[in-house]
Amino acid sequence: MGRRDRALGRRLLLPLLGLLALVQGYPIVFAAYISFHDYRLTALDQVRWVGLAQYQGLADNPSYWTAMTNTLIFVGGAVTLELLLGLALALLLHRPVPGQNAFRAVVLMPMFITPIAVGLMFRFLLNSQLGIIPVALRSIGVEIDWFGPDLALFSLILIDVWQWTPLMTLFLLAGLEALPTEPFEAARVDGASGFQILRHLTLPLLRPVILAAVLIRMLDAFRIFEYVYAITRGGPGERTETILFHIYRVGFLYFRLGEAAAMAFTLALVILILVVVLFYILRRQEAWA
Amino acid sequence: MCCRIGHLLIAVALLSAWLMGCRPAAQAPVTLTIIMEEVPDTDVVRKLLPDFEKENPGIKVDIDAMPYDAMRDKILASFMAPKATYDVIIVDNPWMDEFVAGNFLEPLDDRIRGIPDYDFEDFVGPVREIGVVGGKVYGIPFYNYAVGLIVRQDLFDDPAYREAYQKKYGKPLAPPTTLEDYLRVAQFFKEQSGGKIYGAAMQPQRGYKVFEEWKNWLYAAGGNLLDEQGNVIIDRPEAVRALELYIEMYKTAAPPNSLNWGFDEALRAMAAGEAATMMSYNWMLPTLNNPQGPAGALAGKFALYEVPGGKAVLGAWHWAIPRNAPNKDASWRFISWLTSKRMEKQRVILGGAPVRVSAMKDPEVWQKGFGQAYYETVLKILEDAEPLARGPKAEEIIQVVGTELNAAVAGEKTAEQALKDAAAQVRKILGK
Repeated sequence: MGRRDRALGRRLLLPLLGLLALVQGYPIVFAAYISFHDYRLTALDQVRWVGLAQYQGLADNPSYWTAMTNTLIFVGGAVTLELLLGLALALLLHRPVPGQNAFRAVVLMPMFITPIAVGLMFRFLLNSQLGIIPVALRSIGVEIDWFGPDLALFSLILIDVWQWTPLMTLFLLAGLEALPTEPFEAARVDGASGFQILRHLTLPLLRPVILAAVLIRMLDAFRIFEYVYAITRGGPGERTETILFHIYRVGFLYFRLGEAAAMAFTLALVILILVVVLFYILRRQEAWA
Repeated sequence: MCCRIGHLLIAVALLSAWLMGCRPAAQAPVTLTIIMEEVPDTDVVRKLLPDFEKENPGIKVDIDAMPYDAMRDKILASFMAPKATYDVIIVDNPWMDEFVAGNFLEPLDDRIRGIPDYDFEDFVGPVREIGVVGGKVYGIPFYNYAVGLIVRQDLFDDPAYREAYQKKYGKPLAPPTTLEDYLRVAQFFKEQSGGKIYGAAMQPQRGYKVFEEWKNWLYAAGGNLLDEQGNVIIDRPEAVRALELYIEMYKTAAPPNSLNWGFDEALRAMAAGEAATMMSYNWMLPTLNNPQGPAGALAGKFALYEVPGGKAVLGAWHWAIPRNAPNKDASWRFISWLTSKRMEKQRVILGGAPVRVSAMKDPEVWQKGFGQAYYETVLKILEDAEPLARGPKAEEIIQVVGTELNAAVAGEKTAEQALKDAAAQVRKILGK
C-alpha cells in the first residue's frame, strides 16, 4: 500500500470519526463535565464547579451502595441462571427431534416482547389476589409473597431469566452447530459417556461462545430498569432499587443531573472492571487448554 | 414587453399587500399545544374543545396527552427550549414551587384581575393556595385528586353485619371516623366474612403511593410532616402511632402480600368485591358506581366519606403558562375560558373533578352529575385538605419518606426507626 493510499484511507475514515465524536464523544465529555459541577436542571443559572465532591458524596450515600449491590446480585443471579438453563435448552434443541423448528420458535418467543410489557404481565401474574401463579401454587398448598422484602429481587431475577434465557439458548445453539463433528465421533468411538463428552469436549470447545454470550447478557442485565419501574418502583424499602433506577430518580425526578452523571461514571467503571476480569479468566483457561 | 409584465406584477403585488393590510384585525391563526395526562379528566376537556374553538375562531387547540411519568421531563425540556413546545401546561402539586423557583412560570395576577367576573376566590381554598407561591398566582386549579374513604355501603347496611358488630362492640356499625374505629371495622369485615372480604384495600407501594395513603393516618393522629415554622416533625410520637396503626391494618385486614399495591390493584380488589373499604381519590366513586365501569354488578353499592379524622391528603393539577410560551394571550384565553364559572359547570357535569365551590353547590350539577350527596362530600373533603409536601424539593421529600414508610410496612425497620430515618433525610434535603 502506497503512502497516497494510506492518506486516502485516513481521509475516508474522517466522516465516521466525526460522527462518533458527535454522537458519542460529545455526550461523554459533557457528562464528565457536569459530573464535576453542581448541575441541576431547575437551577441552570447556579451551575458551579464542585470538583470531586459529587463522587465523594456517593461514598456516604447509602442508597447508592444499596442500589449498586442490588444490581450486582441481580446481574450475577440472572446471568448464571440464564447460562445454565440456556445451555440445557441448547443441548436439548441441538438433538434432531421431530418438530425441531417449531420448538425453537416457541422457546425464542419471550425475547420478542418489550420488557416493560413483560414487567406488567408479571406484575399481575404474580399478584397474590389476581395472579394465576399464586392461585396455582395455593392449590398445592404453597403460599409465596413474590414481592415481599425477601423475594422481590429474586422475583425480578426470575422474570429476567424467563425473558432472556432464549437469547442465551440462541447463542449457544449457534455455537453448538458450528462445532466440528470429528472430535465427537472420535470420542464416541473411544467409548466416552455423554457426560464425559459434555465435560471434556463440548464445554471447552464452546468456551468462546459462552464468554461472548455471558458478556452480552451481563452488559444488558446491568440496564435492568423496566421490571423495577413496572412492578416494585425499587421497593419494598430499597430491596429492588437498582443502579439505573436510582440514576433515573436522581437525574430525572430530582433533576440533579451532575450527581446522576457521577453515578453513571462509577457504573461504567464497575462494568469495565468486570469485563476485564472476565477476559482475563478466559485467557488463562485458554492457556491451560 | 418584459417591462410591461414587470409593471403589472408590481401593481398586483402592491394591490394584494394593500388588500391584506385592510383586513380588519385578522390575527394569524394560533395553535395552542397543551401537555396533559392521559386520564378521564383530559377526555372531558377534549369534549369541550369544539365549543372553545367556535367561540375563539383564531385559536386552535392541540392536546398532547401522555402517561404521567413522561410528563415531568417533557415539561422541563419545554422550559429549557428558547421557545416553549407547550403553550399551556398542567402542573402537579409537588412541582408547583419547584417550577416557580426555577422561574419557569408566568405570574397570572394581572390577567386574573383583567376579567371582572372571573371570581378567583370561588376556587376552594386549599386547592387555590397550591397555585399561589410567594403571594403571586402561578397556577389556576384544573381538577382535584383529594383522598376520601370509599366504602361498600351495602356491607355497612347489611343487617347480619350490623347485628354481629353491635353484639361484638356494643355500638352500631358505621363508616369509621377515627383511626381506631377504622382498624376495628376493617378487622371486623375480614373476620366476619371468613377472610373473603378484606377490610381495606391498601396501597403501600414504595414512593408516592404509600405516603399519599399514610399521610391521612398521620393527619388523623394529629401529626404532620412539617410544623407551622417549617420544622420537620415526622418523627414525633403521634407519627409513630399513626404508622404503627397503619402497619397493624396492613397485617390484619389488608389483602395478604399486597406490599407493592398501588392505585390499580386497590381499585381492582374493590371492584371485584374483595375489599370493604379503600382510601382513594374521591372521583373513583362515580367510576365504581358506573354500571358500565369496572365494578359491574356491584355498581351503585359504593359510597364516599371523609377519611377518618376528617383531614385529607390533597392532590391537584393546575393550569399554568410557561414564561417562554410564544402566545401567552391566547394561552390565557384558553385557561380563563375553561376555568370560568360557566365552563367549570359544564366540565363537572361531564364528569370532571370539581375545583370551584359554585359548581359543587349548583343544583343543576347535582342533578345532571352524580347527586347532591357526592358533591357535598367532595366539598367537605376539599375544604380540609393539605398536599403531601410543599416547597421546591417536594418531589424528593415525597420519594424518601415513601421509601422509609414502605420499608417499615415490609418489616425491614420499626415504625420509629423508619420515621427517624425519614426525618433525618428530609432535614438534609431542606438543609436544616
